[in-house]
Amino acid sequence: MNFRAKDWFMNSADYFSNRRKFSATRHILALLALATVCPGVLVPRLGAQGLSPELLLAPPTNAWPTYNGDYSGRRYSTLDHINASNIGSLTLAWAFRANVAIKSTPLEVNGILYFTTPDNVWAIDGTTGRAIWHYNRPSEGDHIGHRGVGMYGDWLYFTTPDAHMVSLDAKDGSVRWNIELADPKLGYFSTMSPLVVRDHVIVGVSGDVTDVPGFLESIDPKTGTVQWRWFTEPHPGEAGSETWPKDSDAILHGGAMTWMTGTYDPDLNLLYWGTGNPNPVLSGETRPGDNLYTCSIVALNPDTGKLAWYFQPSPHDVHDWDAVETPVVFNAEFNGAKRKLLAQASRNGFFFVLDRATGEHLVTAPFIDVNWAAGIDSRGRPIAKPDSAPRPDGTLVEPASDGSTNWMSPSFDPQTGLFYVSARRVFSVFYLTTEGKPEGWAGRDANVFADSTVRAIDYRTGKIVWNHEIGNGAGIAGIMTTAGHLLFTADNDENILALDPATGKTLWHLHAGGRVENSPMTYELNGRQYVVMAAQDTLYAFALPLTASAPPLKTSEKK
Amino acid sequence: MFIFARLNVPGCGIIVPFTDLSMTRNCPWNHRLDPPNSECGDRETRLRVTFQGAGLMTTAMLSLLFYLTALSGAAALAQSTPAEVITRGQREFQQSCAFCHGPDATGARGPDLVRSAVVAHDVEGNLIGEVIHNGRPDKWMPPQRLSSEQVAAIAAFLHDAARKALQSARVPKEYPLAKLLTGNADAGKTYFNGKGGCKDCHSPTGDLAGVAKKYPPLHLESRMLYPRGPASTVTVTLPSGERLDGRLQHINEFTVALRDSSGWYRSFPRDQVGVEVHDPLSAHRKLLDELTQEQFHDLFAYLETLK
Repeated sequence: MNFRAKDWFMNSADYFSNRRKFSATRHILALLALATVCPGVLVPRLGAQGLSPELLLAPPTNAWPTYNGDYSGRRYSTLDHINASNIGSLTLAWAFRANVAIKSTPLEVNGILYFTTPDNVWAIDGTTGRAIWHYNRPSEGDHIGHRGVGMYGDWLYFTTPDAHMVSLDAKDGSVRWNIELADPKLGYFSTMSPLVVRDHVIVGVSGDVTDVPGFLESIDPKTGTVQWRWFTEPHPGEAGSETWPKDSDAILHGGAMTWMTGTYDPDLNLLYWGTGNPNPVLSGETRPGDNLYTCSIVALNPDTGKLAWYFQPSPHDVHDWDAVETPVVFNAEFNGAKRKLLAQASRNGFFFVLDRATGEHLVTAPFIDVNWAAGIDSRGRPIAKPDSAPRPDGTLVEPASDGSTNWMSPSFDPQTGLFYVSARRVFSVFYLTTEGKPEGWAGRDANVFADSTVRAIDYRTGKIVWNHEIGNGAGIAGIMTTAGHLLFTADNDENILALDPATGKTLWHLHAGGRVENSPMTYELNGRQYVVMAAQDTLYAFALPLTASAPPLKTSEKK
Repeated sequence: MFIFARLNVPGCGIIVPFTDLSMTRNCPWNHRLDPPNSECGDRETRLRVTFQGAGLMTTAMLSLLFYLTALSGAAALAQSTPAEVITRGQREFQQSCAFCHGPDATGARGPDLVRSAVVAHDVEGNLIGEVIHNGRPDKWMPPQRLSSEQVAAIAAFLHDAARKALQSARVPKEYPLAKLLTGNADAGKTYFNGKGGCKDCHSPTGDLAGVAKKYPPLHLESRMLYPRGPASTVTVTLPSGERLDGRLQHINEFTVALRDSSGWYRSFPRDQVGVEVHDPLSAHRKLLDELTQEQFHDLFAYLETLK
């Protein structure tokens, strides 16, 4: 799609209102045209092979239908065919080589896996790893990584480096429609895996090298039209705008991207989403205040995009510590009462537990060494030491801008009651290099040392229950736990690991010959459980040997 | 240690080197030239560039250029604009536009043009010229009667400003020493000889003699905190009781590997041997936990006196 922003203006609010009109008009025209030749296109077909949105409320074990497997973000599977007693016989079921580093988590629906890299979507057979189709759409923009697709009915939703979202027919990868989410010329791109909630495709954007506003939006899965858009900075005058300077354009250029998939509570009908760092990134000089809703966890109504509550892990961030890490949803006992909880191990090195109905803060505790915080304020937010801000002569900070953790998935295991995170000790010197008005990043940090560990956290206190070192460097493999008393992840040395979630002890490992950069997932097909992880450019599916002592197949599944 | 990855920029399948993060300890990423963004976990493996050879460096810089071109074609175009045109554009801008948009175009009464959508979409003045010639009556901007040459120069200046903002996410290789030298060298010397424990391993007249001449300031600062090498050594005790010493090649929870005195690589399962690692950098690791910002800058100021 080509268009020129000839008539568009310098003010981002103008820009977005124009974009919206443009998009809607275009899609109405496109759909009218399509409807003429193909009347069925407007009707969602939720046939036997598709994915009904209702299924997302309680995914069966033969499906991994969202980025995190279900709405909770806990990355816990009830499958236990592969378990602590037979993990020693785990073997390779199949491998699929994509020839480009895989950082996405595949979806698995009706026996087919759908996974991505920037510009690419593959559908492959979940039992054999054989390709069914491959979609490629070269694009401009940032190709840093890609998390995966979202699915509704027979349709997939794929975000792109040039900040488009393409809807594909899951059967053959053909394009249904293609919309622009935001202007790539302004530095926007998108890498996230959209989240489907009923008739909403929730999609976010990336990009902080330019000072553009972040937003989350809901797209109609059928037509591609925008249902609502929530800006991560309030409009001037709205609640929250008082945390930005008056009489400046800082709030219009405040950043806070929505680049990770959030979670959802169907009972409360609330979406939970993390937002990224404010802009300019390393300089807070032109944006005094807390800068809401940057580096925040927000609860939104998925039907309206209205904010229910927020919590800000890093007020007035100047270190690029996005709070986009999965806001994990679980129900558990807290101080003697059963509570609806939300927990996040945040990039700034702190673990937070909130009441997800109200946003009430319950726990704040560091989950790894940090040197930047002086304490915790009355609202549960870490207090930054004044001398931790980037300076022209450099500030030694732990963690680096990469963070104490990042996009790799955490996990919550209801069997152990523990929250797991891949954590790093990473030191960096933050240099504020800009002269004049800071714009963009306004500086950079230079890492000097990193090592990593997988940690189990007691959600009730934030205390570390066990620690499993995974070596030098900054770990970026995600975590999944299963009812088989297993925790899957990887170390920094190309080993895929299965740990005991109660103790952190290694139960199984495999040198995969490549660094694991995605988060694990699992599913069951024909009575066999598969665990899928990617090492560099290859997707590996592990399973028990067909001859091993897997549970007997159900009669209906026997061939 | 480099491995290679394909940078996915359409139309340019260039191969860029990046360091394997598992080797971070041996190859600290002293200077990060990669264009960043928030998704920094990914950044690690996209374009991690270290100064380990001019050839690789050139490749990395080219990659960076390609990347920036892809990210912002219009802004990157300005890179090929002669400096003279940019300077002229700045002059024109200051005469005709600065009153509202500020002398550096970052905004005053009028909006910041460095991060404007019009500039981002403009190609050689086609959109900027339109705004200049027609004005923005809805926003009280009067039309300006400027020649096409003047418009082209102003556009070049604005694209250059946008490019600089886009590239602000790096520490220039030639970052001035004056900016870094904020510490007290005498206090640094006291720390070196006292609390810091530096003198236990180093000497200003021995291994550190002339160290400030040997490394550019940023490198020296980074090496002061956590140097590259020397490698750890290891003693492996075999089940027989035999002890093997060597340079540590590799260690994780399953395997230990060393290069023995004859130069041969040997590896052993961790559960069958005893392992003692001797890390000469352990004191630096400890230092990272302990250094205050003041001590950090004082110590650097002291090392900079060792010319």
